[in-house]
Amino acid sequence: MTTNNVETMIARHIPETPTDLHQRTVLAVGAADRIGTADSPVGPVWLAWSPRGITAVTPMFADATIDDFLAHHRREGYGSELPRSLRSDVEDALASGRTDELEVDMSGIGDYQRSVLAACQTIPVGQVRPYGWIAEEIGNPGSVRAVGTALGRNPIPLVVPCHRVVRSDGSIGQYAFGPEMKEALLRNEGAIL
Amino acid sequence: MSDDTTDEPSIKRELRSDLDRGFSKLVRAYQPGIHAGAYRLTRNADEAADIAQETFVRAYGALSTYDRERIDAMRLASWLWTIALNECRNRWRRQSPQAVAEVDLPGHVDPEPADGDAWRRRLAELTDTQRTAVVLRYVVDLSVNDIAEVTERPEATVRSDIARGLDRLRRTIAAEEQRA
Repeated sequence: MTTNNVETMIARHIPETPTDLHQRTVLAVGAADRIGTADSPVGPVWLAWSPRGITAVTPMFADATIDDFLAHHRREGYGSELPRSLRSDVEDALASGRTDELEVDMSGIGDYQRSVLAACQTIPVGQVRPYGWIAEEIGNPGSVRAVGTALGRNPIPLVVPCHRVVRSDGSIGQYAFGPEMKEALLRNEGAIL
Repeated sequence: MSDDTTDEPSIKRELRSDLDRGFSKLVRAYQPGIHAGAYRLTRNADEAADIAQETFVRAYGALSTYDRERIDAMRLASWLWTIALNECRNRWRRQSPQAVAEVDLPGHVDPEPADGDAWRRRLAELTDTQRTAVVLRYVVDLSVNDIAEVTERPEATVRSDIARGLDRLRRTIAAEEQRA
């Protein structure tokens, strides 16, 4: 050993940073989500949540993996079991359509889309509203097309009930997961179509 | 790091536009350095991991209240190390009623390779300010300027701390070699 390179010797033999430390840290502050699964009236769903609330829901189609979900998720996420109380709250709410008391976390969502989703959350269970109604609610009656786009990109469907927004002629309109699922959700909560 | 999204300007940009995404990059870029430095300062792997986590938990709390200008003006490494050193000192205070200067923690160390044990002994012979300056300079790779900011000591004093610390370490190692 030579005493000349003490400056480099001192940095040797330091243990590697624990591999899960980054994950533990971002989860501890809510900068990343935990991802689990829950049952819904239209089958199992992926559900992402932070300490502030639910950040995303996606119906789990056949052979979809958590990586497929994460590829489209706006936030960092890690697989986890849903805590029992959250699971029962979510499943009860989805079964009845009464999702308004579930906490949602819209961080990372732009202001316009937030306002659209917030208006959507005020539509009572079992009822529907046209796209134009949302546009008026957010104080921008001319933005019907933009409302449709914002709803089509709703990251928290089922919980934020964009399925309750239909065409002005009463037809069911589009849905990110197909009109059949939209109709099934509306029928489940007793909407008259 | 080779990923150009982990350099300081791009991390700041991300912190300003999306705190959570930027924070994740901040952790990825700086947590290994905090962990390594905390390990050399505390000589305990569990404690180093705790400090490396707690530093960023506090950083997140602060960042969520900072505006764009404040984030722009920050020097991330020295800011994080200011938090980390406070965390180290708080732990030392909790563990020992003696002053922060007495940071040797006998009986509270992890087993590790002989070389690591040797470093515990060697660093214990330095004063607190020398040990902190040497570790931040040569384990964490902070600049003298950053160390001066973190430790709130003039740059010339930091240079002196480093020089005296290194000198002491060289003499300790030379004595070890003579005994061997």
